[in-house]
Amino acid sequence: MDENSALCCCEYYDNNYERNHILACCCNCEDLDEAFESLITRHAVSQRNKQGLIMTLQDRLRVPWKGGAKQIAFDAILPVFILPVMLLIASISLWWTIFSFTTVVFFLILISNFLIKTIPYTKFFFMWTLTSLIILYIIFEFIVIPFLEILLWENIALSVLIFGFIMCIYVMKKRTNKLPRLGDCDAESGYVGKVCCKWTNCSLCLVRVPDKDHHCVWYDCCVGKHNQCVFILSLFFAIGALVYSSNLTLTSVCHPFNLYKSILLPDDCSEVYKLFELSFSFVSAIYSIIIALLLLILFGQQLLLVSLGLTLKEWARLPLRTRLCFGLTAHRPNSKGFFKNWKAVICWNKLLLKSNVLEVDSM
Amino acid sequence: MLKNIVIISTLIIIVIAVYFPSRHARHYNYISVKDMLNELDLKWPQNNRVLKNCSYNEIVTNDEDIEISSIKDKREFKKPLLGGEFIPDDCIALEKTAIIVPYRNRSYHLNIFVKYMHWFLQKQKLHYRIFVVNQNDSLPFNRAKMINYGAKMSIRLQYHCLILHDVDLIPINTRNIYACSKLPRHMSSSLDTFRYNLPYLTLFGGAVSITSEQFLKVNGMSNEFFGWGGEDDDFYRRLIYNNLEPCRFSPEVSKYTMLPHRKEDASENRFRTLEKTKEMEKIDGLNSISSSYIIKLEELYTLLIVP
Repeated sequence: MDENSALCCCEYYDNNYERNHILACCCNCEDLDEAFESLITRHAVSQRNKQGLIMTLQDRLRVPWKGGAKQIAFDAILPVFILPVMLLIASISLWWTIFSFTTVVFFLILISNFLIKTIPYTKFFFMWTLTSLIILYIIFEFIVIPFLEILLWENIALSVLIFGFIMCIYVMKKRTNKLPRLGDCDAESGYVGKVCCKWTNCSLCLVRVPDKDHHCVWYDCCVGKHNQCVFILSLFFAIGALVYSSNLTLTSVCHPFNLYKSILLPDDCSEVYKLFELSFSFVSAIYSIIIALLLLILFGQQLLLVSLGLTLKEWARLPLRTRLCFGLTAHRPNSKGFFKNWKAVICWNKLLLKSNVLEVDSM
Repeated sequence: MLKNIVIISTLIIIVIAVYFPSRHARHYNYISVKDMLNELDLKWPQNNRVLKNCSYNEIVTNDEDIEISSIKDKREFKKPLLGGEFIPDDCIALEKTAIIVPYRNRSYHLNIFVKYMHWFLQKQKLHYRIFVVNQNDSLPFNRAKMINYGAKMSIRLQYHCLILHDVDLIPINTRNIYACSKLPRHMSSSLDTFRYNLPYLTLFGGAVSITSEQFLKVNGMSNEFFGWGGEDDDFYRRLIYNNLEPCRFSPEVSKYTMLPHRKEDASENRFRTLEKTKEMEKIDGLNSISSSYIIKLEELYTLLIVP
């Protein structure tokens, strides 16, 4: 075969810079041979051997793509399998629901420790968010809507909330990408010299972040002064979409009742596990509610922290007693008072604009 | 350029597919509350010197929702005549209504339903009688056939208005008057298990009212639908072929609750039977049922046992 010809969609260059084909994924793996040999001969598998195995696995896990097969990160692909399996198992019965959800929680705690230590730049959490969003939306559109119990405007309202959420994430990422890169020197980048805030380096986004709050692994994006208000807005949209969709789903699959003649709420869900469509949508609604509750805590925390002028890192360092007093007694050197704190978060764009104008003036 | 067109057209197709109206529950045209009384087909009997005609203004204006949790409560009502017939004694009823309930093996529901309905209907000053039609064989449940038997007997007893009613449906709003309108009426358009929405516009099951003339005109319902589903859609088609497009009252009036039970499996051949509505209408229906059934007069209802 001509070495210089273009790759077909199933071909790629492997770790040794040799042409390879994805169908040959199980051929010619010395590490696997060695591992099996040591298993059969009852010797321990060596550390080098293990690493080689994982390297080869990662290298050969590919999808066909135009211009050569693309590598897919092993950790990033995990949520695509875990989430549907979790929901499918959970829809068997109530006990399976409890079992499946708790297992996934424990798994998440374990794997997040492992991943953050070994592969800090992992896309696992972002993929989890993305997969959840897609699966929940597909379940809603193709299982819950065909029950013919949801009105058109209710479907549109939900879509608006989801669209708002996606736009927020997009804006957050865009604003982060506009920040000065780590390697750039201060003079080149527009507004670093301004005294507006404390600049922190983020090794994951490779940018310098003004008043860094935290790096959100679920959005795969840094949260700082530049996008904190969008972050809070995205939480609002996410909570809204999750609560609304779960309410629509639950009132469809369960027996509903009218609270104060206006709000429809579910009251009797005892029949849901008798039909797969019902239980699957029910379980997805429960999953939505759990996420919404967690996000609600985060949302409240964010509102409090912005009001106090604290960052998440500073909050985590506070003693428990101060945290129980909602941080009011804490030492807050960066706080400029309630209104100015909020103004600084909301009016970031104006601040940016002003600094750009100043830059032009000084030239 | 071509790529953009492809992307945009797929997006448009997806949006249309996702928001296609018939994938959702529907808003529907209805008769407003103030027009309700004019739309009713009340027949005015000759003036009686002792009693005045009943007035129905109060019923359609007195808006009250019954608490769903209180449906099983014991309620006070006047004892009806043997066989569940009730005639108001303080005025002359302007409507003679037969409530026809197809039934099998749901004694728990029937008990709640009958007691509630006597209480509910006696306030409406109607001359009514409850017919429960019991299917007494081992074949799958044939709701439409049971209704035909009930209707046949009611028509023979000169009932003007037939209300075809499922045993598990309970009316909630007190303005929901159990009299016939000029056109057949779908009464249970705002059912709680459907989130008080209407799943599709041609739905005509649950609780419907139709005058006996209209029921005779369309030759009743089809006897060929065994198992759950299909017979109401067939009935709807029969009405459309005879220019009797059903109407509905406003959603606040048409509120119903469904007594809890398991959903039955839909019958597999219901679509096959549906295709033949037009040619079957003349030969399959009210005129094709046998006349052998047993009548039992219970204390609160008339029981028809269909062998």
